Amino acid sequence: MSKKGRKVRPEGTFAVFIGTGMMAAILLAGLLIPRFGKYDANEISADQILPPSSLHYFGTDMLGRDVFARVFDAVFIDIGTAFIGVLIPLAVGTIIGTLLGISRNRRINSFIGSLIDGINAFPFLIFVIALVAFLGAGLSSIILALSLVNWARYARIARTRAVVVNQQGYVEAARTLGYKPTRILFRHIIPNVSSETRAYALSDFTIVIIAVAALSFLGLGVNPPQAEWGAMIKDGANIITLAWWTAVFPGLAICWTGISVAVFSEGLTKRISEGNQQ
Amino acid sequence: MEVENVSVTFGSGSNAVEAVKKCSLTVNAGEPIGIVGESGSGKSTLARVMAGLQPPSAGEIRFRGDNVFKGNKSFQSGNRNQVQMVFQDPYGSLNPQLTGLSAVAEAVRIHTKVGKDEAEQKALELLERMGIGKLDALKQPRQLSGGQRQRVSVARALSANPTVLLADEPTSAIDQSAQAQLLKLFLGLLNDGLAIVLVSHDLGVIRYLTKRVYVMKDGVFVESGDTETVFNDPQEDYTKMLLASIPGELGKAARAKLKR
Amino acid sequence: MTPDLKLLDVNGVAIGIKRRKRETLVIVREANFDVNYGEMVGIVGESGSGKTMICRAIIGTLERRGASVIGGEVLFEGLDLRTINEAKWKTLRGKVIGYVPQSALAGPNPVLTIEKQLAEALSQVEGTGSMKNRSKELLDLVKIRRVETVMKQYPYQLSGGMRQRVMIACALASKPKLLIADEPTTGLDVTVQSQIMELLREIRRDLGTAIILISHDLALVDEVCDKIVVMHAGATVEVGPTASMAKPRHPYTVALNSSRIDVAKPGGELLTIKGNPPSVGQWNPGCRFAERCDYVQQDCLVGDHPALSGKKGEHQSACLHADKIGKI
Repeated sequence: MSKKGRKVRPEGTFAVFIGTGMMAAILLAGLLIPRFGKYDANEISADQILPPSSLHYFGTDMLGRDVFARVFDAVFIDIGTAFIGVLIPLAVGTIIGTLLGISRNRRINSFIGSLIDGINAFPFLIFVIALVAFLGAGLSSIILALSLVNWARYARIARTRAVVVNQQGYVEAARTLGYKPTRILFRHIIPNVSSETRAYALSDFTIVIIAVAALSFLGLGVNPPQAEWGAMIKDGANIITLAWWTAVFPGLAICWTGISVAVFSEGLTKRISEGNQQ
Repeated sequence: MEVENVSVTFGSGSNAVEAVKKCSLTVNAGEPIGIVGESGSGKSTLARVMAGLQPPSAGEIRFRGDNVFKGNKSFQSGNRNQVQMVFQDPYGSLNPQLTGLSAVAEAVRIHTKVGKDEAEQKALELLERMGIGKLDALKQPRQLSGGQRQRVSVARALSANPTVLLADEPTSAIDQSAQAQLLKLFLGLLNDGLAIVLVSHDLGVIRYLTKRVYVMKDGVFVESGDTETVFNDPQEDYTKMLLASIPGELGKAARAKLKR
Repeated sequence: MTPDLKLLDVNGVAIGIKRRKRETLVIVREANFDVNYGEMVGIVGESGSGKTMICRAIIGTLERRGASVIGGEVLFEGLDLRTINEAKWKTLRGKVIGYVPQSALAGPNPVLTIEKQLAEALSQVEGTGSMKNRSKELLDLVKIRRVETVMKQYPYQLSGGMRQRVMIACALASKPKLLIADEPTTGLDVTVQSQIMELLREIRRDLGTAIILISHDLALVDEVCDKIVVMHAGATVEVGPTASMAKPRHPYTVALNSSRIDVAKPGGELLTIKGNPPSVGQWNPGCRFAERCDYVQQDCLVGDHPALSGKKGEHQSACLHADKIGKI
């Protein structure tokens, strides 16, 4: 604690700023560039496979489309899908896991519990790929598949945490004070459980971004000609020795996004642990 | 409040453990009573049953004549507010995400159905009575000391305007000076007419606050009576041993007696 | 061994944590006490008074927490502990100076059986006889019965009191000259507490080990210790032989004494100390007890924190108006 009331910046704030900044930058670019950029993302031209230049910052692909425009056109598709693909399992998994954790009904507990353990036993990506293949390609399938598989991972975390939280004094106090069960659940139990699931969500986000790109890489994602990083990498992979820019730039976009989230969560962790040291 | 032949059994079959065996006691208005025993004696379990958190396996708990555990949930006849509890561990008693003010204001709002601002005002007053100033009320639990957290818990419990307050080892996890503050607080509450049931392993604390005491061992009351009498003239060996363990002057006197 | 050589001499010690780009956070401002061979010294203070930090300085675990001794000297048998390197610490820590941590904390390593635990402690020390026998001797020393059974058990199978005894046994493995017991009974039942206190007394008597007992409970310390050190807000405010401390000369000690449960009349007046202990680092000028003091005068609020009067070994007090106490 410093003297004279000078505001003390907790450790980790810098990282949080950087992370937020990076994410904001790419989102902003994804908003502005498709609207105000020189080229349309799907505009086919005769200028095929041109290397990066002052005209085409990221060069062009084999159909003459501007890679720069395409990379940023895909921002909301990739990040948006990943975001929803994390949000739904987070919400569903947290609620189901919490309910399971506080329930005393043995049968439901063991039934859903086994379901959760069963789903978690499968390798994440393979399961998702299989589901998407089954459901048919497309973004909505991806989101659905992610939700169906990932909720279990959140639920497991939530359940363990909920058991602990449920035994805490403040929950018992809430019961003695006669609070309604819904209030206890939503205002006392879930917020303290979701602190852990939300932390997991941050690290999960990076994995999901890659999963979305991977699925498109396999051809299970968006339909052409919609720009999407994974699909772009797939197309670019064929001609990587000729035209590295067609695959590298979308790849960098994925890295940028992943790093921004990682740095952000690092910073957040540091801030929280320093706060706890007080 | 009446506790009649209450037994509490955990587990079943060969794993069954009887934590409380046929215990009975009475709580009268404005009367402080103590339940003393070591860890594992069943005293906390008994307190929880009395608070309506757990149904007894046998026997009855009655509040103002009504059976507390009629039906599925406890305190069906709207008496839920009347019996409140303060728990042992100050570090788990408060929701880490709520400030002291929010926690108490929430309780006030639920029990008196007033608006948000009025509830906060009342909460601040209550916290003030407990020795928690406005600055501290706005802090999060992790920024408060153990003693302060206990006092916030008491404020929260009091917002329900109870007639009976159960305190399960409230002083065990806090400093001696904070202990003194909390006990002084309880004394004030006694004078206001609150009945306090103090559960502790520390006879010194029990002696300071209570008029009647029940000595509990392995789920059974081995001795009970007026606190002064039990202190000066313990009948059971177990009670004598407990007395001899109190640190400081009290224990010294008891140990001297034992040697005679 | 010269007659003047003390086992431990803590002289004007200050401990602080260096923060990046910020001022050093001072946790202990002025600690002063000494420990003679075979003496039992009690250090009393509220949370945040610095009592645990002082012991970390004596056992050399400050660095790990980013703290260091920034003033004064810590002399162990004449050796200044600030100047020694980690290699030298290894010869002291756990061998000549033992440490028993708070009972509320983890305690013995949960994944090792008691036998393995003791063996680990004993392996640091030379001794005669098999490891098993020496382990049994240690357990005997801490009055654990059913030694055979306990040896094979894991910590979770033991009660808090037993675990604490095991920790004491491990600390005693090397027959240290100085044993630091940091709140050894907090969180344990009074019955267990009195047993552990009795145990410490016996250890002191039979092994001649000097013991530093840290506690927040004045009644406890009063009963077993030869000397009492009172710490408040990072400074030693009073120190002296227990008998003499019965008439305290610092308002804080007076207040602590009056808030003792064992001397209060049932339902009677229980004096409590106003306010709360100041948080680490948030110290006002002048005497840091001033705002909670019943005897405060104008000159208590300015200048430096008062220094301890008198000489080491006597009853010292860091109150400017010590002579007025008792008369008010």
